[in-house]
Amino acid sequence: MSDNKISADLLRGHTDTIILKLLIDGDKYGYEITKLIQTNSGGEYELKEATMYSSVRRLEAEGDIEWYWGDESQGGRRKYFRITKKGRSTYANNKSNWEYAKRILDNLL
Amino acid sequence: MNEKLNQYLDGVFAPYDGVKSVAELKADLLADLQERFRELKAEGKDDETAFKMTIDSIGDIEETVQEVASASRSLERQVLINFSGSNLPDSDFAGVTVHKGKFEGSALHDSTFAGADLTGSKFTGSDVRDANFAGADLTGSSFKASDVREVNFDGANLTDCTLYASDFTGASFNKAILVRTQINASELSGAKFTDVKLVDVKLTATDLTKIVFEKCTFNGVDFKHCDMQGQCLDGMTFIGVHFDRVGLKEVTFKGATLKNVSFLPSFAWTNKYHRAIKAINFEGAMMDKLTYAALKGVDANLSKVTII
Repeated sequence: MSDNKISADLLRGHTDTIILKLLIDGDKYGYEITKLIQTNSGGEYELKEATMYSSVRRLEAEGDIEWYWGDESQGGRRKYFRITKKGRSTYANNKSNWEYAKRILDNLL
Repeated sequence: MNEKLNQYLDGVFAPYDGVKSVAELKADLLADLQERFRELKAEGKDDETAFKMTIDSIGDIEETVQEVASASRSLERQVLINFSGSNLPDSDFAGVTVHKGKFEGSALHDSTFAGADLTGSKFTGSDVRDANFAGADLTGSSFKASDVREVNFDGANLTDCTLYASDFTGASFNKAILVRTQINASELSGAKFTDVKLVDVKLTATDLTKIVFEKCTFNGVDFKHCDMQGQCLDGMTFIGVHFDRVGLKEVTFKGATLKNVSFLPSFAWTNKYHRAIKAINFEGAMMDKLTYAALKGVDANLSKVTII
C-alpha cells in the first residue's frame, strides 16, 4: 500500500500534462476526465476529483485550457474543457521534459 | 440520494459561502458526483456502497477549495484598486500639501509622504504598506480599514488622528506626536513607539501584547479593553492614566513613575484579575499616595515602591 502511495505522488506531479494530453484528443467534461484516466491506466490510477479540479483551475489560470457549456438535451448542463494553442505547446514542452528526465533516471536507477 | 450528495458538499463548502469561484467549483463537483453515482447504481451497486464510493472519489477537496478561494480573493482586491482610479504605488508626495485629501481604496504602497502636510486627510481601505510618513503633518486625519504595515511615522504629527480597524504591524512611531489620537480595534504587532509622549490618547479594543513602548510618557492616556499581557513598561511615566478592563498578566512597571493611575477591573474583582495585579512587578517604581493606596487595596506587591 505504501508503494502505491509513492507511485500516486509521482503520478500526481504529472496531472496537468495528463489532462492536457486527454484534451488534445478532444474536448472533455470533468467526470469524463477522471473516468478516462482510470480506464486508460487499466484501473491502476484513480485521479481524485479534488486533484483534477485543482489542476483544471491552474491550467485555466495559465491559459492552457478554456471551458464552455455543452448543449445536453437532457440532464444537467456540462462544462466542457478545451485545450488552447498555448496548452498544446505546454504539453509538448512538459512531454519533452519528461522524456529527458526519464532518460536520465533510466541511466541512474 | 442527490439530496444527500448536496448536503455532504454543503458541509464541506460552508466556510466559503459567498465566494463565487468556490460556488462554481461546488456546482462542477456536484455534477460529476451525480453522474458517478448514477453509473455505480447502474452497475448494480446498492445505495450505500455507491454513495461511499462517490464520496471517496472526491479526495482532499479542502486544499483545492482554499487554492480557488485565495486566488479569487486576490483578484477581487485588484479589481477594487483599479476601480478607485488611484493606483499609485511607489509615488512621491514628499513635502506636498493636501488638506482633507481623500485616499479611498488607493494603492499607495511604498509611496513617500515625508514632510507632507496631510491635515484632515482620509485613508480608507487603502494600501499604504511600506509608505513613508516621516515628519508628515497628519493632524485630524484618519486611517480606516487600511493596510499600514511597516509604515514609517517617525516624527509625524498624529494629533486628533483616528486609527481604526487597520493593520499597523511593524510600523514605526519614533518621536511621533500623539495628542488625542484614537486607536481602535487595530493590529499593532511589532509596532514601535520610542521616545513618544502620548497625551490624552485613547487605545480601545486593541491587542497590545506585541507592541513595543520605549522611553514613552503616558499623560491622560486611556487604555480600554486592551490586552497588555507581557508588556514591559519599565522606567516609563504614567500620569492620569486609566487601565480600564485591561489584560495585565505578566506586565512589569519596574522603576516606572505612576501618578493618579487607576486600574479598573473587568466587571468585578475576579480572582484572575486579582492574581494578575498581584503578580505585577513594581520594583523600584515611584508613585503618588493615591495610586499607592488604590493598588495596596487590591493586594499589589508594593514592597519596593517609593512614595512621592
